[in-house]
Amino acid sequence: MSEPALNEDQRDALQEVANLAMGQAATRLAQLLDSFIELSVPRVQVVAASDAAQALRDMTGIQESVSAVRQSFRSDIKGEALVICRSGGIEQLCSLVNDPYPSSTYEKVSQQELIFDVANVLTGACVSCILDQLGRTPVFSPPGLLGEAMSLDDVFQPGALAWQAALLVEVNFALEDESFRAHLVMLMPEESIRHMNHALDALLTSL
Amino acid sequence: MSLPIVIADDSLLARKVLTKALPPDWDVDVSYASNGREALALYREGKASVMFLDLTMPDMTGYQVLEALQREDLNTFVIVVSADVQPMARARVRTLGAIAFIAKPVTPEAVLPILKEYGLYV
Repeated sequence: MSEPALNEDQRDALQEVANLAMGQAATRLAQLLDSFIELSVPRVQVVAASDAAQALRDMTGIQESVSAVRQSFRSDIKGEALVICRSGGIEQLCSLVNDPYPSSTYEKVSQQELIFDVANVLTGACVSCILDQLGRTPVFSPPGLLGEAMSLDDVFQPGALAWQAALLVEVNFALEDESFRAHLVMLMPEESIRHMNHALDALLTSL
Repeated sequence: MSLPIVIADDSLLARKVLTKALPPDWDVDVSYASNGREALALYREGKASVMFLDLTMPDMTGYQVLEALQREDLNTFVIVVSADVQPMARARVRTLGAIAFIAKPVTPEAVLPILKEYGLYV
């Protein structure tokens, strides 16, 4: 397959577009978790889906098992968004969320509910905001759990996911004590990456 | 004499958007920085009577630049321009001496009142 790459200007533009999206998502996540979210510079990279696991490992340093939620989006730029976090991080997040009422009679937030909430907020805000800035209005499918406590290689198993190219958006949402980090990956067919490149060019020439 | 200003953002797109949002007839001498360290160096060269400062940058974040400026008497008007719109981010930069906080994407309508309020553009 020919490598759908971004040139330097497109990568810069997409990174800034992702930066804006992160800001929106962080605000919503901060409300959900009642905590300040540290944002760092988003890193953006397009790789073949088969190389995505290794690329994400290089980006994030994740070695341990992860939980992943998938959600597909459609417009002329279409694909699947994956929200990935360390399984251990979810446990810590759960204890944090449950902490104010340790002995209450309220049912504890289950780990699965929490990862769905986090994934929904991140996918909704990030993907919508990125596509909105490129003039698209995506339609989302309901989120689905790809797995809990799985390896990164299993997340990107060939055949499990339909698309050839992966747009890695290293969004790095970290709680202030660094106990929890979440990563967003958008998987897209080559054709959608081409549409996205054109949209980024149009954005750049409009200035 | 033109007013020396600095636009500090790691993104070329963001620097372009911000430049376009400045009043077209504002008599300024613009210098650009793509990270916090460059922004601070330009300030020390006297090129930053006004500084438009992004928060999430490599090689010194906007927060670190603000802290460094405070140690050096903060002889500049810093306007933070950021995608991080959490209320706590706004409060933090105010504490660190920024005169204003503009949410990205920046527009001329957001910039103008701040420049007028501080007498930087008349």
